[in-house]
Amino acid sequence: MEENQPTQSPSHSILCIEDEQFIGELYARALGKAGYQVTVIADGVKALEAAQTNTYDIILLDLMIPNLTGIEILRSLRNPARVPPIRAKIIIITNLEQREEVRADIEKQADGYLVKAEMTPSELVKFIQRLPQN
Amino acid sequence: MNHLEKFRRSLIHIIFGILLFENFLFIAAWWFSSQKARPSLIMLSTVMLVAILIGLIAADFIAKLIIEPIHAIWQAILHISPSEHGYPEPRVDKIQVGRELVTSLLGQIYQFGEVTNKIAAIAQEERKDLSRNFIAQSLPLPLFALDAAENIKFANQAAASYIGIETAKLIDKNIYMVMDMSFPSSNTFDTWLKEAKLGKATSSNSWERVRLNVRDNHPERLFDLAAYYNRDNPDQIETILTLFDHTKMYSQDDQAISFVALSVHELRTPLTLLRGYIEVFEEELSDKVDPELKDFMDKMSSQAEQLMAYVNNILNVARIDNDQLELRLQEASWATVLKSVVEALSLQAKVRGKTLHCRIATDLPNVGIDRLSISEVVNNLVDNAIKYSGTSKVINIEAHLTNEGLIETTVQDFGLGISTSILPNLFTKFYRDHRNRAQVGGNGLGLYLSKAIITAHGGNLWVRSKEGQGSTFGFTLVPYNQLAEQAKKDGSEDLVRGAHGWIKNHSLYRR
Repeated sequence: MEENQPTQSPSHSILCIEDEQFIGELYARALGKAGYQVTVIADGVKALEAAQTNTYDIILLDLMIPNLTGIEILRSLRNPARVPPIRAKIIIITNLEQREEVRADIEKQADGYLVKAEMTPSELVKFIQRLPQN
Repeated sequence: MNHLEKFRRSLIHIIFGILLFENFLFIAAWWFSSQKARPSLIMLSTVMLVAILIGLIAADFIAKLIIEPIHAIWQAILHISPSEHGYPEPRVDKIQVGRELVTSLLGQIYQFGEVTNKIAAIAQEERKDLSRNFIAQSLPLPLFALDAAENIKFANQAAASYIGIETAKLIDKNIYMVMDMSFPSSNTFDTWLKEAKLGKATSSNSWERVRLNVRDNHPERLFDLAAYYNRDNPDQIETILTLFDHTKMYSQDDQAISFVALSVHELRTPLTLLRGYIEVFEEELSDKVDPELKDFMDKMSSQAEQLMAYVNNILNVARIDNDQLELRLQEASWATVLKSVVEALSLQAKVRGKTLHCRIATDLPNVGIDRLSISEVVNNLVDNAIKYSGTSKVINIEAHLTNEGLIETTVQDFGLGISTSILPNLFTKFYRDHRNRAQVGGNGLGLYLSKAIITAHGGNLWVRSKEGQGSTFGFTLVPYNQLAEQAKKDGSEDLVRGAHGWIKNHSLYRR
């Protein structure tokens, strides 16, 4: 089954939930060059719908996006009552500063928390390639 | 009852002892007075045996006579005592000696009992009805009492005016309907209460920075919340809530922080893009453009990195000033950390025509550090060295073990140096050597921030400088083992520190 393949296998698909168009483009370019299939969605509601199809291996989630916040999407995707559970790894990508208790709370539910300004697109690619295998 | 039984036994022992002693006296008198007609040994021992037996029975009987009235009084007291339920009424008819005295005493006791019963009943009534409780009602803090279904059974005057709903309209309403509270994390009042109801008989908790989501023009409320849960409370009240208003303080904090946070966010977005595009250029053009353009690209990249470091400085200074910088110290190999930070800075040095020489002793013990913050310190010191190194080309970075067993790291430049007159002000906010302002950039936050971070690590940041000969900045770090031991002594499991010293029993985060 597809789920059992290592996540860093280049054929894997990534959903990038990011409303800043240029950042979305840059990430899609770098990840695409590394062999990932990337879909960029800028709208919270549409992004949640797409994530629920459970066809993605990795979800990059910005916290400030229109219509639904990233935190709401994260809560919904990581809701323990969800059947079947979302298999994708969820990486938060944000430039927002949070009170630390909020950040820790988000980090607990996600598989990674990255500040966009503190990495280049290729560093994001490296981070994703280094994610542990399922 | 145990005490009474003990008392009875002691009495028997004493009385029996007295009787036995008297018997012996009597037998001895008999033995010595009639020398001729001495009783036989058998007779003597028979008489002694009978005397012991009679003594035992007599002692028991006398003890019983004495105990009976006391027992009756004891029983009467237990009978009326509110804490001892189901005790039988004392029976006077069995008392053989002092029945009148006991009867009269019992009468007195029951009279007392009636009075205390009345008082208890009144108190009970008042306890049930919190609205008549003076303390609850006049408490200047908002107070809510909830039943098992989380309906409000009592709200004092302060509570009603705090949330802007009359007391009468609050009673029997569900707390969640009346108060729409937001918490800063997923540790909320309702999750706590649910857990408390599943588990222990009593539980208490408190929350900071709770927000009351307001309706209908009611002013915003920010407060700390404390709650107490008691499953077996007989008065149907399971949960007590108290609110401590901090609206003014928290909203001021929020505004200060959110201004910085907002600015940081606004700065970071273009920065992310700049760094992204620069990287694309580097990837695509590096080997195609002439060396001068390649050099410009490196400079662009290094400036973007520097801007990112400044943004982090601004954020951290705001945190220190708000007392919100919190470090999580973890064990790390200093050589590894220092090497990687210096390596990341080499581009910055290169575009300024400087070389970083890094020498790290091999015998360093592991350090307890907050990696990100310490990286910022090294970043700031090396950045300063690059800025102030003038025409000199080399910057030395060294790490070694001091005689005191601390890990000392120095950053040395051979540039302008700092005059002794301004050395003492170097670590204050916004301070910069005014004579050099035109020549060097910087926001004057770096050293202030570094000092705070190093202090929070238990170390010391110092500077040695001679004008015209350059400066050496150095800081010490404490070996991890030493920190862990100290933490153990202080009874805190985690190595968490604030910018102004230890923070004990606190959350784990680097704010």
